[in-house]
Amino acid sequence: MIVDDTMFMRTLLKNILFSGGHDIVGEAENGEEAIALYAKLKPDLVTMDVVMPKLNGIEALKSIKGTNPEAKVIMCTAVGQEQMVKLAIKTGAKGYIVKPFQAPKVLEEVKNVLSD
Amino acid sequence: MSDDDGYRKLFVAESRENHENVVRNLLVLEEGSDDEAIAEIFRSAHTLKGMSASMGFHEMEHLCHSMEDVFDLIRNGHTAVEQDLIDVLLAGTDVIEEMLDDIEGGGDCSSISSSHLVADLEKYASETTEESAEVSDASESCESAPDSFKLTITVDKTCAMKDIRALLVLQNLESLGTIVSSTPTKEDLEDGTVPFSGEMEVEFVSDAGMDAVRSAALGTEIASVCFAGEVQPEPDEPDTPAESDTVSVKSSGLSPAATVTKVERTEKSEKVREVKNLRVDITRLDQMMNLVEDLVINGGRLKQIAGMYKIKEMDESLSMVSRSVSDLQNLMMNIRMIPLNQIFNRFPRVVRDVAHHDGKEVEFTMLGGDTELDRSVMDGLSDPLLHLIRNGVNHGLETPDEREASGKPRKGTLTLSAWREQGNVIIELSEDGKGINRNQILKKAIERGLVQEEGAATLTDQEVIDFLFQPGFSTAEEITDISGRGVGLDVVKSTIESLNGSIKVQTELGKGSRFTLTLPPTMAIVDVMMVRINDRRCAIPINGVVEVAKANLDNIHKVGTSEVIMLRDEVLQIFRLNEMFGERPVSEIMVVVLYKGNKCCIPVDVVEGQQEVVVKPVSSVIGNCRGVGGITIPGDGAVVPVLDVNTMV
Repeated sequence: MIVDDTMFMRTLLKNILFSGGHDIVGEAENGEEAIALYAKLKPDLVTMDVVMPKLNGIEALKSIKGTNPEAKVIMCTAVGQEQMVKLAIKTGAKGYIVKPFQAPKVLEEVKNVLSD
Repeated sequence: MSDDDGYRKLFVAESRENHENVVRNLLVLEEGSDDEAIAEIFRSAHTLKGMSASMGFHEMEHLCHSMEDVFDLIRNGHTAVEQDLIDVLLAGTDVIEEMLDDIEGGGDCSSISSSHLVADLEKYASETTEESAEVSDASESCESAPDSFKLTITVDKTCAMKDIRALLVLQNLESLGTIVSSTPTKEDLEDGTVPFSGEMEVEFVSDAGMDAVRSAALGTEIASVCFAGEVQPEPDEPDTPAESDTVSVKSSGLSPAATVTKVERTEKSEKVREVKNLRVDITRLDQMMNLVEDLVINGGRLKQIAGMYKIKEMDESLSMVSRSVSDLQNLMMNIRMIPLNQIFNRFPRVVRDVAHHDGKEVEFTMLGGDTELDRSVMDGLSDPLLHLIRNGVNHGLETPDEREASGKPRKGTLTLSAWREQGNVIIELSEDGKGINRNQILKKAIERGLVQEEGAATLTDQEVIDFLFQPGFSTAEEITDISGRGVGLDVVKSTIESLNGSIKVQTELGKGSRFTLTLPPTMAIVDVMMVRINDRRCAIPINGVVEVAKANLDNIHKVGTSEVIMLRDEVLQIFRLNEMFGERPVSEIMVVVLYKGNKCCIPVDVVEGQQEVVVKPVSSVIGNCRGVGGITIPGDGAVVPVLDVNTMV
């Protein structure tokens, strides 16, 4: 499941994940949607953008982790957001990927987090 | 469409939205501090940066990055919002827009330099870099208990956030056992106060076994995990601290702005966000529209065929189908409609700039931005409106001092409003400025030989105002670089007319002027009069038709090479359209058409009636065809030309 507020980033990420043989079961545009969709789909993995309208990625992560401690969430981040990501890791994010996305790195991280 | 094209289109579309969001909220911010606006700006700037980086548009990425830095300072209250800072930021958004234009055109925006702006922005974000202690190297020998490990973990040097990788490793290890110590410590990594070189030493107790520990530590972007005693690979060169905490404090509040712009506060970001949008390329909508039209045409043919065989059940089901098809057609038309806000959103900025430039105070209000227009109409509307708005501020409104002298409030008002009325969309721009001076126009008109001096006094006010729309007519004493640029009111008028619209001006000396544009909501569907000429059908747009008259053929006279007819005391030129329809005796039914005040008539055999048709452009194979504005295909499947009265007469 992909969470990002721009269709551009979602498309980019989706294509990378498809190329790695992963299925995308759902997409959400903000934290609120992500929480609702997670409860419905229970995906194997979530990629979560940090900066989003309504509810940001950290809050969404907190909420998802609160009800599903086993949830596997990878944060999508950019240079300059180190502190946010650290907070996310503390909250229970399993990994992170840095924009601009590089397909091999994204797939490696996804593989590692899934095999954990 | 290649993948890259697809990304590019999506990128440009979403970037433009974010760009507009930044500009809109910057203007809100200029009015006074607004946390929500700052948050919106920061989010949009951040998104712009991320997207441009992903597309490899580095010039844009750098610019967005330095803007984001400044927004971050504003957000954290480290810097005050000053007039000159807003100016620099707005200049930044201009460059971003330029870059987006370049990217949309297939470029990579590398030709557009933003270094001066980046330098300006960096001045605001003065840096305080913290250089601190290096990571101590601990390399004592290891006195491992059976379950104790000493690890040296090296993070890949291409990794973007090494300290976070290290944190993840620690977290993974914690699930296997207990971390006795680590250098740097977990707290150091979390705080980010100590630069992390990419190498971490961990003392770790676990009963999981060496292999399990190794695989727990070996995550993404981990170059190596060495247990004490193993040979270490070449250490990576330390990375420079990627981000420095930037702090700069500026006092002094917002300098009194020359203009305050008011955007409808009620429909702020929330509304835009709540709409669930699906982005579809306009060409695809056109394709769909074409398919729907084909359905309509073939449905009509089927109906005719069914009529020949008189099968009742078939007639019934066909009428069900045609109802669905017409619903579908209406739906497609509605989908093509977009709210005027798409172009209105740019205007507060324009008003601000022009008012700034002229030293005027303007309160700008926009109403009815959610009124919808067809995309094809909207495209042509932006420039004329922009011109009228510039004119309004530049020529219409007076300077604060002048206003005060004439007993008006110092701040002038400029109102742009839009609404639907009887199937048309009305856009009105009004200001409470000095109004248009009749004598001034007359003076210019006489100077230019548009009217004789003696006849001038008898002209009605409306006739005088119409001079404004003559090519090259300007009452401004000097040409400014703001509204004296490029198009004049004549171009505004002809553009509006090419959209099948009209423009009207009302003015009162000393009180202000009001420009009213009346536009059809869509161009694709046109009301036409179906006529038959020389047994061939053609369509004449109804808005060009004045009347249909039965003429007495004895009243036709030859004047030079052309024919004219006396029709109720008017002499009208006759266009037989022989080149189009072939030689034939002239019929007595005349369709009188009007263009730019000139009437003329077209003799036709039969007037079949009036109907709404979908006009399609003439295919590129045929090329430009003078006199034919497009073609339409009515129910029977025939191809019928739609006459373009404007080019014909």
